[in-house]
Amino acid sequence: MPTGIVTGASRGLGLALTRALVERGWRIVADARGRSDLERAWAGVAGVVTVGGDVADPDHRRALVEAAGDPIELLVNNASLLGPSPLPPLAEYPLDELRRVIDVNVTAPLALVQLALPRLARGARIVNVTSDAAVEAYEGWGGYGSSKAALEQMTSILAAEQPELRVYTVDPGDMRTQMHQEAFPGEDISDRPPPEDSVPGLLELIEGDLPSGRYKAHELAPVRA
Amino acid sequence: MSALQFELPHRLEAHEPPEARGLARDEVRLLVARKRTGHVAHAQFRDLPAFLAPGDLVVVNASATLPAALPGRLADGSDVELRLSTAVPHRAPERWRIVELRDGERPFLGARTGDVVSLPDDARAELVAPYAGSRRLWLARLELSQPFSSYLEQHGHPIRYGYVPTEWPLALYQNVYADEPGSAEMASAGRPFTTDLITRLVAHGIHVAPIVLHTGVSSPERNEPPYAETYRVPEGTARLVNAVHGWGGRVIAVGTTVVRALETVAQQDGTVVAGEGWTNLVVCAECGVRTVDGLITGWHEPEASHLQMLQALAQEEILEKSYRAALDHGYLWHEFGDSHLILP
Repeated sequence: MPTGIVTGASRGLGLALTRALVERGWRIVADARGRSDLERAWAGVAGVVTVGGDVADPDHRRALVEAAGDPIELLVNNASLLGPSPLPPLAEYPLDELRRVIDVNVTAPLALVQLALPRLARGARIVNVTSDAAVEAYEGWGGYGSSKAALEQMTSILAAEQPELRVYTVDPGDMRTQMHQEAFPGEDISDRPPPEDSVPGLLELIEGDLPSGRYKAHELAPVRA
Repeated sequence: MSALQFELPHRLEAHEPPEARGLARDEVRLLVARKRTGHVAHAQFRDLPAFLAPGDLVVVNASATLPAALPGRLADGSDVELRLSTAVPHRAPERWRIVELRDGERPFLGARTGDVVSLPDDARAELVAPYAGSRRLWLARLELSQPFSSYLEQHGHPIRYGYVPTEWPLALYQNVYADEPGSAEMASAGRPFTTDLITRLVAHGIHVAPIVLHTGVSSPERNEPPYAETYRVPEGTARLVNAVHGWGGRVIAVGTTVVRALETVAQQDGTVVAGEGWTNLVVCAECGVRTVDGLITGWHEPEASHLQMLQALAQEEILEKSYRAALDHGYLWHEFGDSHLILP
């Protein structure tokens, strides 16, 4: 049974992806900051073990890797911090919040990669979840968007440095998630597709044979009608 | 200086149950140490299923805690606390006990053979003989005014040491799976387990099986060897241990009492047989272990005999690393404190 780590696995994309992976025979170490949500989400699911905590906490990251064991076949850095809601313009962006966003969205994924590297199987996948806010200049998305841009560049360089691994950034597209709702407080987001629609694209990266690089989930697999 | 010869700072003593600190039992901290890699990681106890694998076996001690401390008075009027420790071989456990006399925080050393300790409700304990050359432990004959368990229920309270300033109900000294009263002190390694956590272990295909070992009082004077305790390893548990080893699973003992019981019935080749009776087994660094692969335990005081037992299970290096990390990260010691998982 191959083992992977999925961060941010108590809801949204992380939840949907982990569910799909378990159905396909993976053993997943699932992370989320909210322990009770995490445990509730995975109660009674034998293929998922939960380790609650904040990916920005070095002790917690070590615990995730220890729980995964050796070898590790997959690391999905999905846990992300949106930053303040409603999203403030950069002119007023609180710098402490920015540091925290970068800590969770950039530093923590790299730290997990560093910890996991000695245990990564040959051909193991690293999947870093990004957003079109990393490339488009959406007003208010300066903090989150620039952190994701940093994550993307970091991923590209990591791919060059680790040719024996498959290292991806994937843009899952707009999704009807709690994070998306926080980005558009009070707005009706029910027209966005559910996170499950982005999962087939991610599975294509995880179980397919695509070269390292940046992908859009919806271009990898047709979206269900 | 070795990390195993530390001075335990007062602030790292758990002075009350985690419940009193606003935590659930399974929200205490869990330091995970892996012998093979030499890594330590910090988690919460409720993350335990993540560090075990389907097919592993967690062995718990189902002995329940007695309210074993009784207020007593000697003929000369001095107040002492009488603590019931282990039963006595070949004697009725309700009538004969090894007892310890305490004067507040210290052992009371002023009693003599033949002294009688008056207990509440016209009960008494006669100190028949010093036990194993000790000056604080006695073989005592009890004359209680009611059946043993109802007498203790009415007049006894859980044994408590100075680092726990207030009295807590007996229920806080019981493991959720405790089934058979008989321990002088809580087999506290199992305290962080909750019914929910055990359910999750089972759902992950991790087996749980009981032994029973009734503990004596834990306050051994320095260099006093562990004394004999009664144990029972049921047939089902013994067979399960062997089956788990057969398919490559790991046997994880919850507490040093479980190590003692399992190692008592372990054969040369690491298989175990069912058994019950008295065990004098001392698990030490030089003798190693035959059947236990991993251990869940609390944090032990420097030079505690329990530390000796840990050295039978793990190299000093990983223990030192664990203790250093626990001290640095502010882990809490004693029965209401945090936990330590040692894996192969």
